[in-house]
Amino acid sequence: MISTKILGSIALTTILALGTVGCGSSSSSTPTEKGITTSQKRAALTTYADIALANYTQAYDDAVALDTAVSKFTTTPTEVTLLSAKTAWITARESYGTTEAYRLSNGPIDSEDEGFMQTWDAPEGQLNAWPLNESMIDYTQVQASASVTGGNIIDGSGNFSGFTHPNGADEIKLGEDGTGSIDITTINVALLEKFTEVDGDANIATGYHAVEFLLWGQDQDYNNPVNDTITNGADVAGQRPVSDYLAGNDASGSDNHERRIAFIKAASKLIVDDLAKMKSAWSDTAGSYRKAILGGGTNAITEDIAIKQILIGIGTFIKSELANERMAVSVQDPSEEDEHSCFSDNTHRDVVLNYQGFKNVLKGEYLGKSKGTSLYSLASSANKAKIDALLSALDTKVATIDKAAKDGTHFDTQIKVGNANKQNIIDTYRQMRDLGNAMVGIAKDYGIALTTDDVTDPEESEQGKK
Amino acid sequence: MATGCSNDSAQKQKNTTNKQDTHAKKSIPNIFTNKQSKQAFKQTIKLNHDEEDKHILGRSFFTIPWSQAPSATSARDGLGPLYSANTCIHCHPNNGAGIPMKNGFISRSLVMRLSIPNIQNVDNDLIEKNGFVPEPTYGGQLSLHSNTNTPFEGRISLSYENIILKYEDNSTCEIQKPTYSIKNLQYGEFDKNVNIAPHIGLALIGLGAIEMIEEKDILAKEDIYDKDKDGISGKANWVYNPESNTTELGRFTWKAAAATVKQQAANAAHNDMSLSNPIYPGDNCTDKQTECLEANKGVHDFDLPMYRLDAIAFYLKTLRIPRERKTANFAKGKKIFNSLGCVKCHTSEYKLSDGNTIKPYSDFLLHDMGDALSDGHTMFKANANEFRTPPLWSIGLYEKASGKMALLHDGRARTIEEAILWHGGESTTQQRAFKALNKQDRNYLIEFLKGI
Repeated sequence: MISTKILGSIALTTILALGTVGCGSSSSSTPTEKGITTSQKRAALTTYADIALANYTQAYDDAVALDTAVSKFTTTPTEVTLLSAKTAWITARESYGTTEAYRLSNGPIDSEDEGFMQTWDAPEGQLNAWPLNESMIDYTQVQASASVTGGNIIDGSGNFSGFTHPNGADEIKLGEDGTGSIDITTINVALLEKFTEVDGDANIATGYHAVEFLLWGQDQDYNNPVNDTITNGADVAGQRPVSDYLAGNDASGSDNHERRIAFIKAASKLIVDDLAKMKSAWSDTAGSYRKAILGGGTNAITEDIAIKQILIGIGTFIKSELANERMAVSVQDPSEEDEHSCFSDNTHRDVVLNYQGFKNVLKGEYLGKSKGTSLYSLASSANKAKIDALLSALDTKVATIDKAAKDGTHFDTQIKVGNANKQNIIDTYRQMRDLGNAMVGIAKDYGIALTTDDVTDPEESEQGKK
Repeated sequence: MATGCSNDSAQKQKNTTNKQDTHAKKSIPNIFTNKQSKQAFKQTIKLNHDEEDKHILGRSFFTIPWSQAPSATSARDGLGPLYSANTCIHCHPNNGAGIPMKNGFISRSLVMRLSIPNIQNVDNDLIEKNGFVPEPTYGGQLSLHSNTNTPFEGRISLSYENIILKYEDNSTCEIQKPTYSIKNLQYGEFDKNVNIAPHIGLALIGLGAIEMIEEKDILAKEDIYDKDKDGISGKANWVYNPESNTTELGRFTWKAAAATVKQQAANAAHNDMSLSNPIYPGDNCTDKQTECLEANKGVHDFDLPMYRLDAIAFYLKTLRIPRERKTANFAKGKKIFNSLGCVKCHTSEYKLSDGNTIKPYSDFLLHDMGDALSDGHTMFKANANEFRTPPLWSIGLYEKASGKMALLHDGRARTIEEAILWHGGESTTQQRAFKALNKQDRNYLIEFLKGI
């Protein structure tokens, strides 16, 4: 959650633009159809679009509730209002988490295609990018020392061009060539958007994780959560004090509460704005993405191309993003730095919800209910049986990760060497890879030729930028 | 023993290979990719779960920045005190080749190797194991960056002089001749006999396959004394590998100074980032650099322990090789490539023990490239003017991966054409033959090179 590496969110969005070029061009020469009719395909796509609208609507509503809770908290900062805001954040993550299955599918959340797809600004990176550069936003405590980093957006003024890494030593400069500069005099939504624009890939200042950091603060169990001496012991999330939002000096020795309030309010408002775009993209209105993916309007997408990009999207999401970037990297390193929702210790829910989102899209379900014909329901019985077996096994494994975390062993502890839960996490991400690969078989049922390479994406990040 | 460079093994397998090439849509061997984007050098070969885990671990440590110890990011601390870059990928953008300048600044992918001549009274053990005598105060490489409390070593200043060269048909080509100087030296003057050799990061293509080439296939082309009188010698570099504690055939780096991918990864970790590891322990400080020696070390035995080093090497060896991209005049260009004699050193093809055939276009031997290109650096058997023939495969994708094309050991050539024109020494005949070509034939040759 530190420095300039970008895993996940922004990282994988870039590929899509490349990936889908191939998609469109080659599907005209797809092999023989396997008896699935055009109207059946259209029905499955309608279900896909219906779930998208329902889920993004819920995510939007929850983001509005989060924004309201943040407003209440910043107006009257108390332990009670802080807790309400944190609860609202966790709730908002629940509905957003399942929408992530709509990523990597050349859809409005992250398609960087020119023209029509630019209508919705591909807000995924701005919404959900991680790891955050927390020391760019606010003070952080330097590890293994009493010192605190300053020189961030919140305690700064005038032109902002760089900041100190939480290791207390490295200077990180803004912009591709390290010469970027942004006037940070006024903190508002426009300023945060400016950061995305100037330095989106390298230094992340926006989205759920920015709000998370501003509510929870650092979770400093990095080196050894068991011997954590900085926060209140193992398996305790970040412990930002309410006083950070009141007049008076914070841990850095100066009073920054007004700018901190401005920052968290702008960040939560920006989430609402971005999700409003997704709601409109999936609404049944002229010029929407829903119209296009259901074959209407001047930007109509054929059924086969639509299904191909969805299967590539969910396959890549479950295999390359969730299994590999979010889970395997964390376990293999092993390192809490690679944890998704590290400040709140809510990473187990990201795993559960991302997996649920995948199932929703494949099986045409939302909130546990069938929403109609699905990509799964039209598949061959052999492939259905294969998917059933994988999902059944994964349901148990994912539930185990969730339960262990809820019982007090957070994801960052579960991945540690010697932890009894570690093997379950390994088994989970390995089976998720198989599940991603299984989309190749489903595609075949639709007469679409894919290989496992289509659901395997190398990391796309501009890592190492500093 | 030496059979000479002219023996082109490519001809033998030509027919079978061509047959395969015509079926572009057919499934291709696991080690190749059809990708041509800037991600072309980052594709993973098909792996089982254990292998994929190892690959991911290696990729993680290859790409994510290291920081100074002690740090919050405990798995990745130990950078410095003196270093050139904070990630491996920094010098190999998208696993491609480095570039000397970026946005008007010296790029981190350009390093300056420092040495002094091997005169009398030197430590023979050092020569045998290190391959050269490092500059006494600054060590074997100039570090542009440092951690808190340790002064960096110096900065590079680079300028180019434009030179116009003429073809026989009177058309011209501009090449740029670099001049390097080192400024802001923080530890006093260099030794008066210092040699400064600029080297740029190489593209990381097919490293596992190169490692698999049978030693005898490389040595077969050695012709140290040019017995076949074609003007081209070809000499293997024999280098010390600390891991095996023996002398082995050098296959990697500009001077063929590393025997294995793992050795080179360990060497770069030590010299470019000052990450201690089991193959190159300790930090890259000299005994005259007090602050560097006294700096805070990580809490680990090694910044980069063996299993992570293994994972990095594994990652690099499990990347796919882009396939040939044959355009309209590919065959015509190839004919010219062969007839000029380029293929004498840029050996087109090797058959590997696993049944795959690879086309790196290198003999992996050292050749004298002439004074104009010389870097002055001796490295084990490699003399000042000698370089390993760099593999040419995927050279047409360099610009996509790195954003710019920068060829030759210091990235001075902005185009393939310029790189050819810099060829001297043993390759003078071929360079002159290129200059004698008409424009169309020159273009065919370059079109071929862009497609290999």
